[in-house]
Amino acid sequence: MPMPPTPATTDASRYRCPWCGHASDAGSSSCPRCGAPVDVRMAASDSGWAQLPAIKDMARIQFGQSFCQIEGNYVPVADFKLDGGDGVYFTHHLLLWKDEQVQISTMPLAKGWKRLFAGLPLIMTQARGPGRIAFSKDSPGELIALPLDAGQSVDVREHVFMIATSQVAYDWFQTGIWFATMGDKSSETHYPIGTFMDRFTAGQAPGLLLLHGNGNVFVRNLQPGQTIAIKPTSLLFKDPTVSMNLHLENPGGAYGTYQSWGRWGNRYVWLHLRGPGRVAIQSHFEHMEDPGSPIVNTEPRTTTRQW
Amino acid sequence: MEPLQRIACDWCGGQSPTGATSCVTCGAPLNVENLVSDSGWREAPRLRDMSEVKFGSSVCQVEGEIVPVAEITLGGNDAIFFEHHVLLWKDDSVRMDVMPLQGGIKRALAGMPFVVSIASGQGRVAFSRDASGELVVLPLHPGMEMDVREHAFLLCSHSINYSYTRIKGLRNILFGGQGMFMDRFVAQSAPGLLILHGYGNVFERRLAAGESVILEPGGFLYKDASVTMNIETQKLTTGFFGGVGMNLARMTGPGRLGIQSMYHHHHTD
Repeated sequence: MPMPPTPATTDASRYRCPWCGHASDAGSSSCPRCGAPVDVRMAASDSGWAQLPAIKDMARIQFGQSFCQIEGNYVPVADFKLDGGDGVYFTHHLLLWKDEQVQISTMPLAKGWKRLFAGLPLIMTQARGPGRIAFSKDSPGELIALPLDAGQSVDVREHVFMIATSQVAYDWFQTGIWFATMGDKSSETHYPIGTFMDRFTAGQAPGLLLLHGNGNVFVRNLQPGQTIAIKPTSLLFKDPTVSMNLHLENPGGAYGTYQSWGRWGNRYVWLHLRGPGRVAIQSHFEHMEDPGSPIVNTEPRTTTRQW
Repeated sequence: MEPLQRIACDWCGGQSPTGATSCVTCGAPLNVENLVSDSGWREAPRLRDMSEVKFGSSVCQVEGEIVPVAEITLGGNDAIFFEHHVLLWKDDSVRMDVMPLQGGIKRALAGMPFVVSIASGQGRVAFSRDASGELVVLPLHPGMEMDVREHAFLLCSHSINYSYTRIKGLRNILFGGQGMFMDRFVAQSAPGLLILHGYGNVFERRLAAGESVILEPGGFLYKDASVTMNIETQKLTTGFFGGVGMNLARMTGPGRLGIQSMYHHHHTD
């Protein structure tokens, strides 16, 4: 299991990539499995967040008989050269260009109605080689290459997923992270990290998952029982072993009971994560919905703190 | 014994030990030449990834170069204040309080925060904004006064006095592109640290007394309190139907003026 930050072993015969944790090729400039620069020292902050090693412009990642080249470092493009037997699937709006011979078809998903209501993509698009096809997303950020070992799973927040190889199975589950506020006439339920979360699992063979983080991406490895509070909309992915719950904090001080009017309810809404396992966040988070009105109900595992 | 030679930082004037590669007061790289355009605008120092800045008993580490994160390790009795929506993550041990501001109703009506949050206690807390850009680290020495575009400040150390200044003149309010108020940060008796987030790239120019420059109002980021701002209308005529007016800000020295290159209006809650 990849556990950044791990010091890179520099002996050419047994070089291990510090990002994906797999035996790699010290002779090339980047890891062929995940694209991380070879011999990069993982930049870790004092608090233990490791910065995603920026994939070098034009770095190549190999999967099966196919390659993915990462181009650009502001809004990176994933440029695939698919072999005859290989395929990828993706959400359709990320397609940037393709060769004519690349076959595109839909991959219908089970439980479609539920996904439709949750605002998730109803149809995944799949592409079959041979030929070239490229993808990018519409905001500055970083591409995250997550090689998955056979049987390994990772949980990804909705709309973060870009592309997966056909060896990776796709499923989703309810996040269970919600709170309800009293609106004008009835209560409204809010899902700070969305209703559903994607789960990607490599089957019999290893696979590759590509995600896009807005801004910069940071990863940390939580020890068993270690907790951290993050802004819910900054979450990118986590290992399935990391548990989540809603955490509400109310500010203290002389004005602790002071209710501001406007759109802030005198509270901080956090996503509480508990190890063991990896957690990744993005620095350019999305707007988080909290109308500021009184909370009338929360998910059962919610913790609160009054300062 | 500590050697007497020190390196002076061109950006903030702070002094660092010889051998330091970045300024201990503002994080600016010390071994990189200043980038100044022919017209006199200086690029804000591009902070190296993982640069550290010390203030009081605390340390700020800057991480990332697309949407940089300011990660604070609070020490001693230090505290920092900020607008609540810029929080990224925190340790459970960091205490949260609020500091209501005077003239709250006026500020609320103007769309500015009238409660700012305070983080204190031992632990770590991190901040980032919702768009790509640069962090501008401005150490404030006693007596310094800075005016900052509303919602542009990311965090500030508690020793700094935070208020706001009403933009004078109806024309300036209506056409100035930034509403009625500007944030004002004053270092009174103790030095402190102010960190701003500029959208896109940030440039600074030092205006001499009486020197002025005309600016797109949305590009304004910060200025010394001694720099004045007035809106002027530039008439653009087409020869038919009278043409249109274009509003620009005349900034007059003496003092520093900071601008941002991506000047869309960003709404914040």
